[in-house]
Amino acid sequence: MAFFKRRPAHNASRSQPESSSTRWLREHKEVATNSWLRLWKTPISNLLTWLTLAIALALPAALLLLLSQAQHLGQQVNQSSHISVFLTLGTSDEQGQLMTTELTSRPDIVKATYVSAQQALVDFKISSGLDDILASLTDNPLPATILIEPINSALSPGNIEKLTEKLRQKDHVDQVLVDMAWLDRLQALLATSQRFTYGLALLLALGVLLVVGNTVRLQIESRKQEILVIKLVGGTDAYLRRPFLYAGFWAGFFAALIAWAILQLGVIYLHQPLLSLAQSYQSDWQLQSLSLMESFMLVMTSCGLSVLGASLTVGQQLRLIEPQ
Amino acid sequence: MISFEQVSKKYHDKNALVNTNFHLQRGTMAFLTGHSGAGKSTLLKLIMLMERPTSGKVIVDRQDLSQLSRSQVPAHRRKIGLVFQNHQLLMDYSVFDNVALPLKISGYNDRDSGRRVRAALDKVGLLDKERLSPQTLSSGEQQRIGIARAIVNKPKLILADEPTGNLDPELSAEIMRLFQQFNQVGVSVLIASHDLDLIQRLPHPVLQLNQGKMSGSPSLMGH
Repeated sequence: MAFFKRRPAHNASRSQPESSSTRWLREHKEVATNSWLRLWKTPISNLLTWLTLAIALALPAALLLLLSQAQHLGQQVNQSSHISVFLTLGTSDEQGQLMTTELTSRPDIVKATYVSAQQALVDFKISSGLDDILASLTDNPLPATILIEPINSALSPGNIEKLTEKLRQKDHVDQVLVDMAWLDRLQALLATSQRFTYGLALLLALGVLLVVGNTVRLQIESRKQEILVIKLVGGTDAYLRRPFLYAGFWAGFFAALIAWAILQLGVIYLHQPLLSLAQSYQSDWQLQSLSLMESFMLVMTSCGLSVLGASLTVGQQLRLIEPQ
Repeated sequence: MISFEQVSKKYHDKNALVNTNFHLQRGTMAFLTGHSGAGKSTLLKLIMLMERPTSGKVIVDRQDLSQLSRSQVPAHRRKIGLVFQNHQLLMDYSVFDNVALPLKISGYNDRDSGRRVRAALDKVGLLDKERLSPQTLSSGEQQRIGIARAIVNKPKLILADEPTGNLDPELSAEIMRLFQQFNQVGVSVLIASHDLDLIQRLPHPVLQLNQGKMSGSPSLMGH
């Protein structure tokens, strides 16, 4: 019976001897293709899974996007902030000018501008429209002011505190005002949002793991017979695991694409109101859509989480299926 | 090819096999018979490492199975061709893909595996059915596909668990002829069956199990 004869020529008759890496690549290509084809056998249920995953990804991704750009905005605003030094009433213009020159020479100050009491009154008249009332005043109630623009590195909360303290101790200085309170609040708000977003991202990542795990568990359940037969004819765990890991990979990939589309739509949807908001703060800030790198990160994170979710489930589930 | 030395298997309190000894010589074809529940399936499961013995030693192809770890089980199973009573065919695979499964697992490329699958299908006379689904085939044909899958890897040992259980006498005889042909080229064959009529008409040694105990000829020589 020729079939069972172990012909020595057999190996020689193979097309080419295959190296283990070629075989590994070929097997993975086969499994990737097969699991891809399998996706389209149950398109609706797969689509629902992908949508679930996409929403779980899009939510933290949107918050992270908004947050990173808002922090950028915060820095921008920070950089344009001024310190107002109000001089005591009765300080002469010469003394004020002198102080301004002295302050300009400090290394932590970019620019100092002297605004005399007269000038302040004129400005106030123009901006308030209270000409008559102001004209009736005998004395100018407004102090002279020096507007200071610190260098960027002096703008951290600690440094700005030191600078204002030094300014306060100078002669003729009545009050030093840094309009930083709202910036501090913004920073605190951003820090809170950041932690909230990270927490949310962590929970939703866990959600992704669970959703993928559950999907894989159902897939394994529906292919139980196949798994049993493969185990009986000597399929290794790695061989059995592979299609499910690829199924996880594809789920992560499509979920990332959908999440990306959701984010793009969100950016378009929010563009107009955010533009108005930014303009009301004299900022030309705009919400940017995901960069190429960020899109890549989204896909990698999604695929990575999904493969992890699949691998956590698949090993344990496969052990439960043993031929009886 | 197969040695059982004082092998016992207990399920909870029930003895499935008790101090079983037998030796199947390389190249022998033998029958394993007994009533249902006599321990035939347990014996086959121990050979396939679907179960581990409670005590005693099972040796297959010079390998003491107790020394194989869980991760070595697949490689052990690939050396054995297994035929089931209920075929265990995958109905959403074509006939070709069912037979090709053991080769795919062993990492054969399409060209080599295609040639071997066709040779195996040719051997069982189903070469023209390779594209069909097993569902469209008769019970006898399905069993022959199961046999093609068992031999496609050219194993040295074939185990069959009631391979003719669902077949009429004529088909059963045909299946047995196939096993005899494999045996003639040196393959060891162990067939669990309770079809005594058929067994008695064939010139092969018989191992008899009765309530987990072995009787008959425990050392089976080649013929």
